[in-house]
Amino acid sequence: MNPRTARAMGMTALVLAALTLPLWVTLPYFQHLIILALIWVVLAQGQNLIQGFTGYVSIAQAGFMGIGAYGSTLLSVKLGWPIWLTMVAAPLVTAALAVLAGYPSLRVKGHYFAIVTLAYNMVIFIVLMTWSSLTGGEAGISNVPRPPSVAIGGFVWDLAGRVGYYYLTLIAAALATLLCALILHSRVGRVLLAIRQNEALIEAAGVQAWRYKLFAFVISASLAGLAGALYAHFIGFLNPDAFGVDHSLNAILAVILGGSGTLSGPVVGAFAVVFLPEYLRVAENYRLVIYGFILVAATIFMPRGLVPLVAQGIRALAARVKRERR
Amino acid sequence: MIIEILQQMLNGLAIGSVYTVIALGLTVVFGILGIAHFAHGSVAMSGGYLTFFFGERLGIGFFPAMALAMVVGAVIGLLIERLAYRPVRDAPHINAFIIALGLTMMVEGINLLAFGADQVVIQTPYRGVFNVGGVAVAELRVLVIVTACTLIGTVALLISRTKTGKSIRAVAQNRPAAVLMGVNVNRVSAIVFSVSSALGAAAGALVGALLAIAPGVGEGLAVKGFAVLILGGLGSIPGAIVGGLVLGVSESLAAGFISSAYKDVIAFMVMIVVLLFRPEGLLGKR
Repeated sequence: MNPRTARAMGMTALVLAALTLPLWVTLPYFQHLIILALIWVVLAQGQNLIQGFTGYVSIAQAGFMGIGAYGSTLLSVKLGWPIWLTMVAAPLVTAALAVLAGYPSLRVKGHYFAIVTLAYNMVIFIVLMTWSSLTGGEAGISNVPRPPSVAIGGFVWDLAGRVGYYYLTLIAAALATLLCALILHSRVGRVLLAIRQNEALIEAAGVQAWRYKLFAFVISASLAGLAGALYAHFIGFLNPDAFGVDHSLNAILAVILGGSGTLSGPVVGAFAVVFLPEYLRVAENYRLVIYGFILVAATIFMPRGLVPLVAQGIRALAARVKRERR
Repeated sequence: MIIEILQQMLNGLAIGSVYTVIALGLTVVFGILGIAHFAHGSVAMSGGYLTFFFGERLGIGFFPAMALAMVVGAVIGLLIERLAYRPVRDAPHINAFIIALGLTMMVEGINLLAFGADQVVIQTPYRGVFNVGGVAVAELRVLVIVTACTLIGTVALLISRTKTGKSIRAVAQNRPAAVLMGVNVNRVSAIVFSVSSALGAAAGALVGALLAIAPGVGEGLAVKGFAVLILGGLGSIPGAIVGGLVLGVSESLAAGFISSAYKDVIAFMVMIVVLLFRPEGLLGKR
């Protein structure tokens, strides 16, 4: 079996497994977690675009997720827009804000960019907490509605239930991954990778790096906005706690853990970040310490993340099998 | 009106001088080792908690407790440098920054485990208030400003006048050349980290006496510290002083005259406006 067929077979198995998942994962608890993980895939793909591809760590992902979540909720609850429309509007609103935020902050490089984005996340959090006439403050907004069912021919896609919503988030996660794949394999993607490797060189080659950085930042934020809208209408209750700085750090952890700069890394990382706390529940008090330790240890000992590590292992194993056959 | 403005400015100078101490700790690490040591704010919070703890348990005064906390802070700094940052010294800078984020989570978590989630205010005996032309001058605020100035002056002297300071400056200017001249880079980075973390611990104690310490305050403090560096221009000590005072005063004026809930928002807006019009900082060279 050559590697390409093995890969194709693996992908087919994965797609089939994802499509039939509600048939064999029937526990509501696991379905709930998987939906959250898929929402986090959208978020982590966005984070990977700016952090993994472009090499600029943004610590505002959870803040932008909050903009999307509150944006979609307020548009549907206060202005009565249809939810399908607000779910499309949420990433656009977030993108518009990201243009405003990104333009000044991309003037500083590296670490300082990270700090400025962190300040944005804090500003977003403070505004969500303080502007209570609009956002409900710390008490938040309850009863955020689910999107209405869709009838396609004789088939009714019911989004009030967990299974229906699973497919919505699956589509969103797949589209986010596809979008990142398209960007990565385009000219823009190559420029982003070049910025990560040597920004001064690419500017000397006549490329206006800031445009590309802004593009990556805005797309990254709008994916977070989409994730926020999906989250709000799934959980049904919003308060600012879900959009604080520590959740932005989790998004960074997801990218590092999975494999930054790869397409499958954020998927693995998102599942890890959602499922890990469930298994660490016994050690609730130690969670922050353990998370921090994982982040430090992963950066020192496997800076390229789980996916490249496992892929390397499989390749080494395959080579060994081949040699032994001979 | 004028009195009130002066009053807020004085308050701003006190908190601004603490921001300068934080920023100084950040700028020596960044200028010399190129690490954006984001966990600095959380280490500062540890210093505040330790000062409180020593004061309560050992029954010693504020300044001896702060000195003890600075010693512990220096040890924490040494450990952080040796165990977390040194292994990635030759890796891309982004790795060191991600380690800093991980350290932030760890130090915050340890603070939470060791000292609980309750807000802590360090009690000091300096409760006097003088009246200077209608402006209430609190004894504590004056002492905070004096302490901050002493710390800043000591570090400036250490860097500019001693042999150790010379080797620190040499590493900052050109690391390979410094190594060739026989400067022990490991020793320099250990010294820089212990000095920086001791400064951070002192700043945490001052914050605990002036305001309060609680989980999450450390991250905000680190962001403020970096905001000061962005305002003042990177890697410059005078810049850190000017930046800290500008940030502290604008924050206090905003809290007094606009809204205290939005004071941090306004402080960050000042930073963003400076980025837009003078990205090299107020005192930076073009």
